[in-house]
Amino acid sequence: MYISSRRLGVYAVALGFAIVMNFTVPRLMPGSPVDAMIAQLGPRATPAAVEAIKARFGAVEAPIAAQFLDYLKGLATLDLGVSVKYYPQTVTEVLARSTLWTLFLVVTAITFSLVVGTLLGAIAAWRRGGRFDTVVSPFSVVMIAVPPVIIALTALFVFGVSLRWFPVGYAYDPNLDPGINFTFAGSVFYHAILPVLTLSPYLIGEFQTTMRSSMISVLGEDYVTMGRAKGLTAATVMLGYGARNAMLPVLTNLALMLGAVFGGSIVTEIVFNYPGLGLTLFTASVARDYPVIQGQLLLMTLATLGANLLVDIVYGVIDPRLKDGSA
Amino acid sequence: MISGLKILLQQKKAVAGLIIIAALCLMALFAPIIAPGAPSARVGRSHQPPTVEHVFGTTKMGRDVYTQFVWGSRTSLAVGFATGIAITIVGTAIGLVAGYAGGRTDAALDLATNAVLVIPNIPLLILLASFAGTVGPLAIMAIIALTSWPWGARMTRSQTMALRNRDFVIAARMIGEPAWRVLFVELLPNLLPLIGINLVGSIIYAVVAQTTLEYLGFGDPLQVTWGTMLYNAQNSSAIILGAWWDIGAPATGIALIGLGLALVNFTFDEIANPQLRSGPALTRWLRLNRQRNRSLGGA
Repeated sequence: MYISSRRLGVYAVALGFAIVMNFTVPRLMPGSPVDAMIAQLGPRATPAAVEAIKARFGAVEAPIAAQFLDYLKGLATLDLGVSVKYYPQTVTEVLARSTLWTLFLVVTAITFSLVVGTLLGAIAAWRRGGRFDTVVSPFSVVMIAVPPVIIALTALFVFGVSLRWFPVGYAYDPNLDPGINFTFAGSVFYHAILPVLTLSPYLIGEFQTTMRSSMISVLGEDYVTMGRAKGLTAATVMLGYGARNAMLPVLTNLALMLGAVFGGSIVTEIVFNYPGLGLTLFTASVARDYPVIQGQLLLMTLATLGANLLVDIVYGVIDPRLKDGSA
Repeated sequence: MISGLKILLQQKKAVAGLIIIAALCLMALFAPIIAPGAPSARVGRSHQPPTVEHVFGTTKMGRDVYTQFVWGSRTSLAVGFATGIAITIVGTAIGLVAGYAGGRTDAALDLATNAVLVIPNIPLLILLASFAGTVGPLAIMAIIALTSWPWGARMTRSQTMALRNRDFVIAARMIGEPAWRVLFVELLPNLLPLIGINLVGSIIYAVVAQTTLEYLGFGDPLQVTWGTMLYNAQNSSAIILGAWWDIGAPATGIALIGLGLALVNFTFDEIANPQLRSGPALTRWLRLNRQRNRSLGGA
C-alpha cells in the first residue's frame, strides 16, 4: 500500500478549504443569517438554542481567531451544531438518518455503471469504427451532457406516472415495517430502481468514454498482438489483456467524478422524494437551515475524500509501477 | 485555426451539433418576433394541453409555455455560454501560469487545483447560493465559475509543461521576450485546440449546474429561464398531474443544448486525439488490420 504524501496534502487542503468556507461564508454574507434562523425557531427559541446559533455564526463579541478555534473544537468533537428545522435534534442526528440511503443509491449506481460502462467501452474500442462503436460512443458523450434533472424528470414521468411500473417516491413501501426480511428488501430494491437508473446514464457515459480511449491505446501494445498471435480467444485477449490494463484511467476518472455523483444524487433524490442526504439538503435549504447545509458540505467532502483515498489504495495495489512515486 | 475549422466542418456530427446550437441561438435572438407577447402574461386556463392557440400548452398559472420556452432560452443560453467562457478563462490562466512558472508557484496552484477538484461542487454551490438567498443570473454565473475551473486548469497545466521546454519557447526567452509575451504569443496559440475542448466542456458543465441550481429554487423566480420553468412546473406538481408539456418544453430545450454541445465536443476530441477517430479512413485501416490479424491467426 502506497499513497504519496502529495495526495494526502491535497486532501488536507481540500478539507481545510471546505471548513474555511463553512466558517467564512455565513460571516461574509449580507444580512444576518442568525436573525433569520432565530425567527425560524419561533416559539422553540430557548435562550440556549439562540446562544448556540449565535456562537456558531459569529454574532458574538470575540476576535475572529478565537471564533475559528471554537469552531474547530466543535468539529473535532463531531459537534456540527443544532438543526434549525428539526430543533432540538443536532445536525449529526439529522444527517445520520439519511446518509445510509444516499450511500446505498450512489454505491449501487456506481457499481452497476462501472460494469456496464467499461464493458461498452471495451467492446466499442475492440470493434472501433464498427456499427456498435458509431452508435454507442457518441451516445455516451451525449449522456454526459444531459443534466440529471432532465433524466430524472423524464424517468419519473414515463415509468412512474404514465406506465406506473415503478413507485414515484420514498425508499420503501410506507406500509412495511423496516426489518431484515425478503419483503422489505424487495421493496427497497423496487423503490431504488428508478433513482439508480437515473443516476446511471451520466456514469455509464463517463466510464464508456474513458474506457474506450484508454482501451484503444492499450490495444496497440505489443503484448496484445502477442496474445492474438498465441491464438487466444478474442474474449481472453479483450478482457484479460486489454480491458484489465485499460481500467486504470477509468479508476482515476471515478475518483474525480464522485463530486458530480453526489450532485446528481441530490437532484435524483429530490425528484423521487428519496429520503437521502440530497432530500435533507433540499429541505434544509428551503427552510434556510444553515447548520444542516454546512454539515452536508463537510460530510460530502469527507465522503469524496475517503473514496479518493480508497481509489488511491486500490490503484497502488493494481499498478505496482506507482510505488516508485513517479505518480 | 482556419484549417481546424475546415476539419470541424467535414465532420457530420460536428455540423449537426453546430446546427442545433445555431438554431437555439437564433430562437433566443429573435424571441420578440417568433413569440410576441410577454412570457409572464396570463393568457389561458390552468394546465391546458397543447392546442393550436397554445402550441406547447399552458402552465399552472395559465401562462403560454411556448412563449416562456422561447424567451427562457435567452437567459439560459446567455448564462450557459458566458459562464462557460468565464470558467475557461480562469482555468486557462491558472493552468498556463502554473505550467509555465513551475517551482513553488506551480506547486501551490496545483495543490489548489486538485483540492478544489475533489470538493463536491453542487453541495458547495448550494452552500454559497443558500447564504446569498435567491440570486440573479450574474451571481449564479460567478458562483459556478469560481468552483469549476480546476478541470481546465489541470489539462492546460500539463500541456503547458509539455510545451515549456520546446525550442521555440526557449528561443523566445533567450532573445529576451517578457514572460507575458511568451505566455500569450508563443504558448497560447498552441493551446487553442485544448482551449476549445475546455470551452465546450465548461459550457456543458455550466448549463448542467445552472439548471440544477435553478431547479432547486435558487434562481430568481421572476426571471423566465428553462431552469426556473422546471422549478415552477415541479412546484405546481405538473408531472403528477400529467401536464407533461409544462416540464417537457424546458427539459427538451436543455437536452438539446446538451446534445448539440456533446456532438461538437466529440468531434473536438477526435481532432485533438487522432487515435480516437472513426470514419472512412479508419474503416479502411481497420479492414487491413483485420486481414493482417487473420494472417497472424488471431481473432
